[in-house]
Amino acid sequence: MHIPDGFLSTPVWATLDLAAAPAVGYFARRAQGLEQSKVPLLGVMGAFVFAAQMINFPVGVGTSGHLIGAALLAYTLGPAAASVVLTAILVVQALVFQDGGTLALGANVLNMAVIGLLAGYLPYQIWGGGRWRRPAIFLGAMLSVMVSALLALSELLVSGVAMPATALRVSIGLFMIYGLLEGAITVAVLGALESMNVGFLRVPEASVSHRLKWVGLAAILLATFGALIASAYPDGIQRLTSEIGLGSHGRLRISTPLANYEAAFFKSGWLRKAAAGLAGVAVIYGVCALGGRILGRQRGE
Amino acid sequence: MHHVVLDRWGCGSSPVHRRDPRAKMLATLLFLVALATAHHSYLAVSAVYFALLVTAIFAAELPPAAVLRRAALVLPFSLVFAAMSVASGDTTRAISLVVKSYLSALVVLVLVSTTPLPQLLAGLERMGFPRFLLLVVQFLYRYLFVISEEAQHMRAAAAAKSGSMRQLISRRRHFGAAAGAVGVLFARSYARAEAIHLAMLARGFAGHFRPLAKSSFRKLDAAFLAGAVAAIVLLRAAIEVWT
Repeated sequence: MHIPDGFLSTPVWATLDLAAAPAVGYFARRAQGLEQSKVPLLGVMGAFVFAAQMINFPVGVGTSGHLIGAALLAYTLGPAAASVVLTAILVVQALVFQDGGTLALGANVLNMAVIGLLAGYLPYQIWGGGRWRRPAIFLGAMLSVMVSALLALSELLVSGVAMPATALRVSIGLFMIYGLLEGAITVAVLGALESMNVGFLRVPEASVSHRLKWVGLAAILLATFGALIASAYPDGIQRLTSEIGLGSHGRLRISTPLANYEAAFFKSGWLRKAAAGLAGVAVIYGVCALGGRILGRQRGE
Repeated sequence: MHHVVLDRWGCGSSPVHRRDPRAKMLATLLFLVALATAHHSYLAVSAVYFALLVTAIFAAELPPAAVLRRAALVLPFSLVFAAMSVASGDTTRAISLVVKSYLSALVVLVLVSTTPLPQLLAGLERMGFPRFLLLVVQFLYRYLFVISEEAQHMRAAAAAKSGSMRQLISRRRHFGAAAGAVGVLFARSYARAEAIHLAMLARGFAGHFRPLAKSSFRKLDAAFLAGAVAAIVLLRAAIEVWT
C-alpha cells in the first residue's frame, strides 16, 4: 500500500521523513561497502521486481495475485542491499508512476523498505540455516507484507483518516490474505531458484546475539497479531476520533461571534504550521547533507 | 509501454524544460508543503494552485488533457479512502483527500515531465542525496524496460504453450509454473547485471554517470525560483487573510 500525498497529517509525514533519512543512509552505506559491482546488480534487481509483478499467480476462481518481493530480495541480496533496492523502487514509483507521494516517501520507505523488510528478514535470520528454513521463509515473507500494511494503516489512522469498523476489518483480512500469498509465492520461487543454482540464497551469518533476535521477533509477532485482534474491537478508536471531531465542531460553533479573533488565530495557526513544515524539510535536508559530508570525509581518510 | 510517454515529454525545449532541475525541485517541494499544510481554506488554495499548474503545463508546451489524465492515476486509491471517510461521516476529509492527492500527483508529474530523470537525479546528487542510492535508481529505470520486455516475452510464450488449455492444468501446477517463470527471470536478471558490470569495467566506469548537458544555476533559474516561491506563498497568504 503506497500512501499518496495529502493523506498524512504534517506532523506524521515530517516525523517519518526525518526517521527514514538516516535509515536509508545507513543501509546505503552498508550495501555500498561491500563491492562496486553492487550498483548494476541492485538496479537490475529492482527492475526485476517490477517485471516479476507482471507474472500472475492463480489464487482462487478467476482471481490472481503477484509477488511483492521484499522478502525475496532480502534472502538473496541481504537485508541492507534489499533495503536500497526497495527504496529505489519506491522513488521510481513515486516519480514515474504517480504511485505513492513525495512528502509521504519517508513513510512508505520506513513501512516497506526498512521496518517491513527487517521484520521479514528476522525469521530467516533465526531459522534460515537449519531444518525450519521453509517455514521461516514463509513466515518472513508473510510478516514483511503484513507489518508494512499495518504500519501504513496505523499511520493513516493517526493522521485522522476515518474508516468504518467493517472497512477496517475487511482491509486487515485482505492484508492477511496478501501475506499468506506472498509467503507461498516466495517459498515457491526460492525453491525454483535453488533447483537452478544453490548459490542464489544467502545463508544468514550469526552476528547479532540470539536473544536479541528472539526478543525482536516476539515483539513483531505480538504487535502484528495484537493489531489483528484489536481490529476485531476497533469501536474504541472509532468513538475516540468521533468524539474529538465533535468536540472541535462544537468549539467552532460557539466561537463564531468572535470572528475577528478567530481569523487572527487561524492565520497565526497556519503560519506556524507552514513554518513547522518548512523547518521540518530544512532539518531533513540538513541532516542528510551533514551526514553525507561526514560519511564522505570518513571514507576519504 | 505507457510510461515511455514521460521520456518523450521530458525531451521538450520550453522555458520550463530549460530551468535548472534544482530550481524546479525546490519549487515543487514548496508547493507540496504549502498544499499539505493548508487546512481551513484548502479548497480555495487548491483551486488557485491548480490554475498555477495549468499555467505551468501550457508554458511547458505539454498536452494538457493527457497530463491531467495521467495524474488521475492516483484517484482510484484516493476514492476508496474518500468513500470510507464518507461512510464514517467525514465528508470534508473525503474531499480534501481527493483534491490534495490529485494536486500533489499533478505537481510531481509536471516536474518529472519537464525534467528527464537523469537530470533530476543529477540535481538531487548536487543537493547532497547519497550518490549510491541515486545510481541504483538510475540503473533501475534504465533496465526497467529491458527486464519488463523479457517478462512479457515469457508471458507470451507461456500463453502460446498452454493458454488454451489453462482449464485443464491444475491450479497447483500453474502456480508452480509461475514460480518457475519468476525464478528464471531472477536468474536472467542476475546474469545480465554481471554482464553489465563487466562491460562497465571494460569501458572505465568511474563511479558516476555524466549528464550530456552540464547545467549550472543561472540568474534565470534564480528568477524562476523566486517567482514560483512568491506565487505559492503570496497566493496562499492572500487567501488565508481574505477568508
